[in-house]
Amino acid sequence: MHPRIRLATTLSAFIAALGLFAQDGGQIHGNFSTDGQLYQADDQIGAIKPPADFGLNAWSNLNYRSGNFQAGVRFETYLPALLGYPAGSPYKGTGLGYRYATYTANDLEVTVGNFYEQFGQGLAFRSYEERSLGVDNAMDGVRLKFNPDTGIYLKAFIGKQRFAFDNGFVDGTGIVRGIDGEVSLTEAFPHLFPKWVEKGHFLTVGGSFVSKFQADLDPLLELPENVGTWAARANYTTAKWNLYSEYAYKINDPNGSNHFIYKPGQALMANATYSVRGLGISAGAHTYDNMVFQSDRGAPSPFDLNINFLPTLTTQSTYNLPATLYPYATQPNGEVAYQGEIFYKIKRGSKLGGKYGTKLTLNWSGSWSLDSTAIPNDTIHYLGYTTKFFARGNRQYYSDINAEVRHKFNDKWELAFTYMNLVYDIATIQGHPGLPVVYANVYILDGIYSFNEKTSLHFELQQLSTKQDQGDWATGLAELTFSPHWFVAALDQFNYGGPVTTEQIQYPIGTFGYIRGGSRFSFSYGRQRAGIFCVGGVCRVVPAANGLTASITTTF
Amino acid sequence: MKNMRTLITFLLALALLSGCDIIDMPQNDNAHPVNPVTGLTRRVLLEDCTGARCPNCPTAADLAESIQNFYNTNEERVIVVDINMVAQFSAPLAPDYTTDFRTPAGDEYATHYNLSVIGLPSGLINRMPYGGVVPQGAGSWSSAVAAVIDLPPDMDVWFDSFNFNSATNVVTTTVKVAVINAINGPHNLTVYLTEDHVIDWQEDVRLPLGQQNVPDYDHRHVLRDNLNGTWGDVIIPTSAQPGDTLSESFTYTLPPAGAINHVINTANCSLVAYVYSTSGADADEVKQVAERKFVP
Repeated sequence: MHPRIRLATTLSAFIAALGLFAQDGGQIHGNFSTDGQLYQADDQIGAIKPPADFGLNAWSNLNYRSGNFQAGVRFETYLPALLGYPAGSPYKGTGLGYRYATYTANDLEVTVGNFYEQFGQGLAFRSYEERSLGVDNAMDGVRLKFNPDTGIYLKAFIGKQRFAFDNGFVDGTGIVRGIDGEVSLTEAFPHLFPKWVEKGHFLTVGGSFVSKFQADLDPLLELPENVGTWAARANYTTAKWNLYSEYAYKINDPNGSNHFIYKPGQALMANATYSVRGLGISAGAHTYDNMVFQSDRGAPSPFDLNINFLPTLTTQSTYNLPATLYPYATQPNGEVAYQGEIFYKIKRGSKLGGKYGTKLTLNWSGSWSLDSTAIPNDTIHYLGYTTKFFARGNRQYYSDINAEVRHKFNDKWELAFTYMNLVYDIATIQGHPGLPVVYANVYILDGIYSFNEKTSLHFELQQLSTKQDQGDWATGLAELTFSPHWFVAALDQFNYGGPVTTEQIQYPIGTFGYIRGGSRFSFSYGRQRAGIFCVGGVCRVVPAANGLTASITTTF
Repeated sequence: MKNMRTLITFLLALALLSGCDIIDMPQNDNAHPVNPVTGLTRRVLLEDCTGARCPNCPTAADLAESIQNFYNTNEERVIVVDINMVAQFSAPLAPDYTTDFRTPAGDEYATHYNLSVIGLPSGLINRMPYGGVVPQGAGSWSSAVAAVIDLPPDMDVWFDSFNFNSATNVVTTTVKVAVINAINGPHNLTVYLTEDHVIDWQEDVRLPLGQQNVPDYDHRHVLRDNLNGTWGDVIIPTSAQPGDTLSESFTYTLPPAGAINHVINTANCSLVAYVYSTSGADADEVKQVAERKFVP
């Protein structure tokens, strides 16, 4: 169907639905957000001025709810999309990016159109949108959710995935179908766990099966048209403990990412947290082996048409230098990772705790390759390699040891100091083959000074030292907030330790903004360094840019 | 509750039975092109977007060669050109990766198809969309080629005359285009100079750690230069009718020794000519392609 006809048809149906249900006193809610950038060339940082010197992304959600009925649409505009956006296949034009209708009756929820969904932590299936990355694999089809009895939750769906955007969302070629069951044993069968019920403990188990269908047109190989993944999970929680584990197994799934091997994939993750007042301890481990699972075996990029999601265990720093220079990206074709963290709050009133207490955090995470052995010249079974389950290999992708001390001295001052030690395999993580592993130390001073109840200054001083890559960096940040309406900020990232003096570059950005009710306006002017931007272990390339950026968000 | 157990069991069994094709022996030994070649066919241009420092690219290159071997049993039906691009994967990096295989045209194609963001390897199959997009991950190449290779041709393209003067390094050739079905809309003709079997460094992730930098990798069908610019010349300004024959002649001097992308062995060189649409719904689509080896 032509995009314009499809848009008109959908809008008509949506308006008709509003008319039908408006008499029940339904409500419409929505929001709008836009990011625009006016570009200018900057030879020093490699920023180009594209043919259209202004790019704009915009999204607007309209949601209607009346009783058990809910429907909504999302309009999207990319005229053209901001440079480097989205992560995968292109978005262009204006149109509908999402539309759905949901009805709930008798513990059965039916959704038609687009939906996001997740089974467990996502090892077998996760459909989600991460707008800052430009990742959106929304399903387009039918979903059923059924709650037949207390503590029993069933889900089933079938559909295609959002792939690109061309005056409307474009679905990929593959069909994805899945079924999931989750049982809270302590809720569904309380008579079997009387002591746990009495103590408020919960034990939940779940299982899912997800499969994709894609026709086989390949004349060279016999490709599996139906590729299935099953997963099982368990979660035990008490007031102090949370134990979670999930395992997934995928049958042969030759694809561009795994070099067309027919080896099955598997993943296991396990996390444990212990938390009491003033103390928190967490530990986690996982292994991912050949777990790229996309609804198109030839997806153009690793960001397109992902059916599953592989969480990262590494710390997702929000500080400018570690977050923009050396963030970790999950290696779905093979990694073994561990993580541990201790949080302790020194009591207020003690010698070290002072009036407000002192917070200490110590975190370590590491990621390695799989311990695998290639099978050379395997032209029979195409298995690619063998590996021992959960055995880590010799190549270290990442390590991060970080410690933070945070202390509030009085009503005006709060300071935090962070030290990070990074080991970063930039060749693997950022796809810069041949570059040596980066060993870096990062020092961060983060402070807040409150002038009065309405005015405060947030500042950060960051320094990163390394002998590899581009050498030493520093970042300074100051944010002055005049509550409740105004804020102004300045940030400068400076590569002062680069090996070539002429390439020692500053990346300053100035921002000011205004907030009024549910609306927020902000304007920035300055340089953006070429690099990568990551959320949850998924990273996209960010090109160098220089210019004026405007952002507006509002809700109603 | 009993009904619920039955329903769940049924749904699980249905899902498990319908969801798995386990394949033990993937090689399609008895495979052959669907339609044996009879008369003029629509040849396929497979542009392998690659880089010497792209560790996943050798897998794609091997796949391109497999596709060629499969279809080119009697005549050239699939023509492969390796286009090095994207600084991240192709910029020289001392001490080993000192050769810059990139060309200005390749850089422009990378920009045009957003390949610095999408990443490599990627392939352009007649520059036609397959599954909604033009750049294809290597996992789709075989299927994308299969989807277009038996489409009827709208035109033929061939090198009507060819001469290479090894003393002066000058190539003179005339490319002709014969229209078979009515063509509406402007079309351009582009001619590539390629060189096969260039031995140089390449990263290959399939090899064990410590051996992934291969010093003597065989780079196939490397794009060296465009004879008539990135986007070629107009060969059909507006439309053409069946029976029309169009031509363009070229006199081209190979890049001299020392120049970027200079040819190492002219005996391994070829010219590749293709005609593509420049506007309308089929913009960019390659309608026909031909290759002329310097040494047939």
